Amino acid sequence: MSERIAIAMSGGVDSSVAAAVLKQAGHALIGVTLKLQDCHDAHGSRSCCGVDGITRAREVAGDLGFPHYVLDCVQDFEKLVLAPAWREYAAGRTPSPCLSCNERVKFGVLLDWAARLGIPRVATGHYARLHRDEVGRPMLLRGRDADKDQSYFLAGLSSDQLERAMFPVGHLCKPEVRALAKDLGLPTAETPESQDACLVAPGESFAEMLRQRFSAPAQAGRIVDEGGRVVGEHQGFHVFTIGQRKGLPAGATVRRWVKDISATTGEVTVTSRMDELVRTTFTVKDVNWLAGELPRAPLSCGVQVRYRHKSEPATVVAGDNGELCVTLDQPVKAVTPGQAAVFYDGERTLGRGWIG
Amino acid sequence: MSQIYADYNATTPLDTEVRAAMDEALGASFGNPSSLHQAGQAARRLVDRARTQVAQLLGAAPDEIVFTSGGTEADNLAVLGVAGAAASGRRGIVTSAVEHKAVLDPCAYLREQGHAVAFLPVDRDGRVEAAALRAAATSEVALISLMLANNDTGTLQPVAEAVAAANTCGALVHTDAVQAAGKLPIDVKQLGVDLLSCSAHKLHGPKGIGALFVRRGVRLVSLAHGGRQERTLRPGTENVPGIVGFGKACELARARLPADSRRVAELRTRFESQVVAAVPGARINGGGLRLPNTANIGFSGLDGEAIVINLDMLGLAASTGAACSTADHAPSHVLLAMGQPKDEARSSVRFSFGRESSDEDIEHAVTLVVRAASILREARR
Repeated sequence: MSERIAIAMSGGVDSSVAAAVLKQAGHALIGVTLKLQDCHDAHGSRSCCGVDGITRAREVAGDLGFPHYVLDCVQDFEKLVLAPAWREYAAGRTPSPCLSCNERVKFGVLLDWAARLGIPRVATGHYARLHRDEVGRPMLLRGRDADKDQSYFLAGLSSDQLERAMFPVGHLCKPEVRALAKDLGLPTAETPESQDACLVAPGESFAEMLRQRFSAPAQAGRIVDEGGRVVGEHQGFHVFTIGQRKGLPAGATVRRWVKDISATTGEVTVTSRMDELVRTTFTVKDVNWLAGELPRAPLSCGVQVRYRHKSEPATVVAGDNGELCVTLDQPVKAVTPGQAAVFYDGERTLGRGWIG
Repeated sequence: MSQIYADYNATTPLDTEVRAAMDEALGASFGNPSSLHQAGQAARRLVDRARTQVAQLLGAAPDEIVFTSGGTEADNLAVLGVAGAAASGRRGIVTSAVEHKAVLDPCAYLREQGHAVAFLPVDRDGRVEAAALRAAATSEVALISLMLANNDTGTLQPVAEAVAAANTCGALVHTDAVQAAGKLPIDVKQLGVDLLSCSAHKLHGPKGIGALFVRRGVRLVSLAHGGRQERTLRPGTENVPGIVGFGKACELARARLPADSRRVAELRTRFESQVVAAVPGARINGGGLRLPNTANIGFSGLDGEAIVINLDMLGLAASTGAACSTADHAPSHVLLAMGQPKDEARSSVRFSFGRESSDEDIEHAVTLVVRAASILREARR
């Protein structure tokens, strides 16, 4: 059956092929490219303001024969993604802005905009799959391509959002997507991977970009070891994350990692002991749980504490105030406050929470 | 895809005769009109002929036509050119709140540079009041710039009153006739204006070419420097194919104008009355005398941009005036100036018809508008 669908097009190969798949299935499509940054913001920065993506998306839509629009989300993106991300860095945590962007912009602002147009569904080029569970709830599964799986970034979508989402390339592997793009002669067939490069050129610090954007002062401070000994100075703790090795003063003989960041003292604590970095228990808050009620009894599942980490076996149980208490079977390195923890039952995404 | 085109105020299709005329300038007569030799002379003759054709559409003399890159440059040259040449005691500019950005923005720029700029309000029909023009015309005013017809609503402005007011104080009058040229008969002598802008692509000519009528004796400073072309007001080698196309388009417009505007007015009126009858809450924006081809319709409770996108999906090209969508898009400054609340202004869509619009197009367009409105009402539930 033909449906009215808005396809979010970044100008990359994945969303282009997603659009082609939907078009071939006979749906009434509109392509939408989100404008996330003003061009004048990009002056003097090596990152692109997004015009390239808009141009490529428009070309693909033209080739495939459906209309394409640019949705200006500059203000929403700043308010819903960038400002909260900076607040996290300023508090000594490490945010996961891609999740916020999916939850609040792509499947927030865009979904609402499309709904007002009478277009009930929004598709993206994410590598994830949607099925239904035994009681008919939407079920978010990992993408079939394990290397490209993006379910982690989508795990914060509510059931209502998932009901209206479509991921047309989730059942494909990246080489198949590239091959399809080539077969269809799409101008984006050869575009390089753009993931995580949103707004930041390779080698630039996202945190530093945000600090400059919000004209916030850098909180310089001391770098101390586990024993409280000062081992160096830093120019701003926002550029550090738990488990980081780069940018630390060289130890006499030992390697050091960031163990803790204190926004109150401005101190960055380092350790030379890998076992100091691991955690076995933590709690997550603002939980989005896709499998019914939060588990009142301990539930065995997998937990992934960062994108591109593997899922670790754990037991979770509902705590106070909607929190979820997580106990890992084995200690895991660099469980970082501010990052998303995403829970899995095999391929199925159970939910996500923010690491406290 | 085949679409019904109802956005003639944005641009018009190139007339096949215009295209044929341009062929010569793109081919055999490739010379530089400034060259001494015969190749140059051939190109010069084409430019001369086109200048006469444009002048005839406007009732001007050929030497009063300055070719520019389009309407925007013509407006800029008029506003900034007069301000730059005016006596030190004349720092005032009077314009209206409903002008095109090509006039509003250079006026705003002049204000930043210390000029006194008045943006006159309009009434509910979108018309500047003659009394306001008279009141604004003081001895410090260098220029009154008032458009002939508004691009959003088609409302005609009292340019004759602007001329009368200017005559009492010695100011010059410019009119942006980009939308009016080819749709209304224009005679610069009768009108009494000193400067008038027009653009080729609004009257079935090519894009990238326009003209400013500059009455003999009116002094302007040029905005660019580098050659003696266009009486130094617009230096640089002429866009000969564009100029030739513009000339031909003016000749055709002049010949077709009475019949074309009668026919299109009839289509427009039918479209408006059928939409207003069929869509609950629909109303016509703009009143009084209007361009024959423009229908600006408000759809109470609906979003104009959402209507335009739905119409685009269904196969009808219309406009809200903006090229970029925002979830909370800015309403037309013209409708706001007419006193409409933001939501009302945001609910409005511009349909503009023209030479190739047919009876069937109108019939089909009404059906599509009704369908789009019902899709959106459904979506709100």
